[in-house]
Amino acid sequence: MRTVSMAMIGSALACCFWLALQAGPAQAENIDLSTVPDRQSVQLTIYNSEDLTLVRETRKVSFKPGVNPLQFSWAGTLIDPSSVELRFLSHADKLDVLDTTFPHDKPQMLYWNVQSEIEGEAAIEITYFTSGITWSANYQAIANREETQLALEGFVRVSNNSGEEYEDAQVRLVVGTINLVEKIAQLAQIPMSQVKSLEKADFDGLRLRGAMMLMDAPKAGAAGVSAPAEAKQIIKEGLSEYFIYTIDGTETIPNGWSKQLRSFEGHAVSFKIQYRCRPNEYGDQLVRMYLLANDEASKLGTTPLPDGVFRVFRDNGRDGLSFLIAQQIKYVPIDDKIEINLGVDPEVLFELVKLRSSRDNLWVQIHGTNTFKQVGGDRQEVDERSTVAGWDDRVVFAQRVRNYTAKPIEVEIRRSFGGHAVFRSALAAKNHDYQTVEYAAKVAPGAKAELKYELLTHQGRNAKQANVTIEGAEIK
Amino acid sequence: MRRLAVAICLSAGVLAVGWPADALARIKLITLPVRERVEIQLDNPHATLVEEERIVPLVEGVNQVDFSWANTQIDPQTIVFRVLGPAAEKKADDKQPDDKQQADEKEGAEAGPLDVKVLSVSYPPNEAALVWQVSSSGSGAARVRISYLLGNLNKSFNYRAVAARDESTLTLSQYIRLQNLANEAFGSTGLWAGFGPRFSKPIGINQTKEMLIAKYEKVPVKKTYTANPQAFGYLDQPQNKLRIPMHYVLKNDRQNKMGEAALEAGKVRIFQEDGRGSTAFLGEDWGRFTPRDDEMRLYLGVAQDIVVKRTIDKNVVRRVAGNLHHREVVLKYEIENFKDQPAKLDVVENLHYVRGEVQGDTGRDVEWELGKETTFAGGPDKEQSAYDQAVFHVDLPARTADGKAKKFVYKLHVILKNEW
Repeated sequence: MRTVSMAMIGSALACCFWLALQAGPAQAENIDLSTVPDRQSVQLTIYNSEDLTLVRETRKVSFKPGVNPLQFSWAGTLIDPSSVELRFLSHADKLDVLDTTFPHDKPQMLYWNVQSEIEGEAAIEITYFTSGITWSANYQAIANREETQLALEGFVRVSNNSGEEYEDAQVRLVVGTINLVEKIAQLAQIPMSQVKSLEKADFDGLRLRGAMMLMDAPKAGAAGVSAPAEAKQIIKEGLSEYFIYTIDGTETIPNGWSKQLRSFEGHAVSFKIQYRCRPNEYGDQLVRMYLLANDEASKLGTTPLPDGVFRVFRDNGRDGLSFLIAQQIKYVPIDDKIEINLGVDPEVLFELVKLRSSRDNLWVQIHGTNTFKQVGGDRQEVDERSTVAGWDDRVVFAQRVRNYTAKPIEVEIRRSFGGHAVFRSALAAKNHDYQTVEYAAKVAPGAKAELKYELLTHQGRNAKQANVTIEGAEIK
Repeated sequence: MRRLAVAICLSAGVLAVGWPADALARIKLITLPVRERVEIQLDNPHATLVEEERIVPLVEGVNQVDFSWANTQIDPQTIVFRVLGPAAEKKADDKQPDDKQQADEKEGAEAGPLDVKVLSVSYPPNEAALVWQVSSSGSGAARVRISYLLGNLNKSFNYRAVAARDESTLTLSQYIRLQNLANEAFGSTGLWAGFGPRFSKPIGINQTKEMLIAKYEKVPVKKTYTANPQAFGYLDQPQNKLRIPMHYVLKNDRQNKMGEAALEAGKVRIFQEDGRGSTAFLGEDWGRFTPRDDEMRLYLGVAQDIVVKRTIDKNVVRRVAGNLHHREVVLKYEIENFKDQPAKLDVVENLHYVRGEVQGDTGRDVEWELGKETTFAGGPDKEQSAYDQAVFHVDLPARTADGKAKKFVYKLHVILKNEW
């Protein structure tokens, strides 16, 4: 039997004009005749988080009354055979799939025997999952010379390594991590914890149904060919917990190629610069941040921003750009913040200096007893047979900030302290959490700030808590 | 040898918005726009940005612009394609445009006859190339700028320091060195390090180019001798003789004729005028990144003519309560200057180090105060001392005319408090 797969068209549908496989006298072993109905349309829904693409293709097939064999093959592609399903879009009440056969000698092929009550054409839809088609987002931001506004562009890049060329396909991108396990559990009527123990065939089948439940059929207005000289629009729609990007018109992405399209553009997006020290997030250093928001006030906010690389350039004022940073950002919902860490600014010096250290409130424990005595002046003898059991460490720090930039800067500092601590300072500090203190300062251009605080840490038996409290005090 | 190429396929009439149909065509006509201007931005410490301008002929409709490279480390993810405007808007020269000119250009680009847009970018498999689909409202030439990060085009900084005969001043020259291992030649190219002047130079493949970026004339310099057992150890421990390193210390501030920018890290070759119109090579050191208002210390070697013997003269425990005690330590320094010139010696003691010598490390901060037996005049230098470090300065006269060096004895008395 001749295989209908072709080099560039990996998946193919053939109508075999021999009688039903079961009809013995007409069954040909080696000589076949088949027709190959073209795809009428194809839609790709790419779930990037799962390396999973739902392909929905329609074809027109002529049927005659009785049993009609259909052959579907996908040599050299990454289609999941267990996921292939056939649906009749027209004459559904007069067409039935009698059986599906996976021949043992042709691994990437199946046959459907379709019982038809009609003679004529019907539209069919074949759906399946394939892997190897992925998409990613990336962003390009160019700050103006004054660093007050950004020209921000978002892009989506679709890469096709599936082994198949989907010509003129409508492309839909699912933004967000889909939770198919939940859908699978729902469909299988089992707890989510048991999803992993499902047989592969069952899992794949349920996964397909789950994914299909999430996606509606293509919306009529989403397809169509745009004017040739216009950049394509990417239509963004919310769907349940997800966002679907539908690329305007259709795309052909040959196997092995990638294609990048602009998904949005924001002109004059305002942003703020802040210097931050947050050791838990950025290491123990002061980093320069671009802070903007994915909201209307910032001339954004039309779509969540999918995970992707954010590349930042700046107009260097010399008819050129400076490259600032490339940073991976996480999914940013509408109205949420976008924080870009540009790293350390060599024009802003940041030093934490320990100025002095001392101990007081010393307590000793008399050996063999539960008796504690506080140590008084230097000459007081408490008991020879006693050991230091509690004390307070007092350390005075100066957080020095030198601003050599031409603009005033805003500095925000977070410091975490273990144990039972008291943060004593005249700074307007507040608790970020139970063991972290946050304080801020503004430093004028060319100026130096010395932010002093004393850290009092109760040690040994003096420690009664595991938190930091803030106490106003002038530290010299 | 050119490794980067931009090709314009004249196929606009044939293309649909979808896939470039002529990707598979065997017969192509392409134009190869040459570089009009190249700028290499060296201001990022970790990456080199190349910006090139080309004049691209476009026809009305959709044009395919191929950009390919071979054997170069272009990061394809960083390639930015910007249409600056019609080609006639700006002449390719090396002049820096002022703000007004830039604004005019922008305006010209917006109001220009050509409306040029990038529709998509495609990346062919297994090729160092990409294809822009660019739409143009009419036929004509557009000036475009292509920017990308390029690997193996590396920069470094180095310095030449020439001290005056009397070592009171020093002339510091700062050079930027650009090494082109990127496998791509650049003709007359604008170069900018993020500070200092902008250069315009050609850079060939595998070439290294060194350019003077700043010269600081007659900068006041301090020559220091330092006794710091914790940092520099002993020259002869059985005899308690400390290693005394010598440094030139420059302060990167306006008062000292510097302070225009931070000094980047780099190798410093140090010379001294020999008084006969030439210079003598004193050695070299790695200069650390030196922000404005900070000091750059250049190591000159170990002084042989200044001898410092350090001994622990006293180590007494004063019990407070139970195992809680104070500890009194007296360090004695016997100092001789065998040089013909006077010298200034910095005596630095790290109190953690001292406690480690007499007691061992407790892991706790050291709490200390100066005792009455201290004989250093003027007390510790407040600016240079820290919570665990005391710094004193000692002026040492030159040896006497009869060749004898006077021995000076100083004592440092510290009380280590609340130890156990």
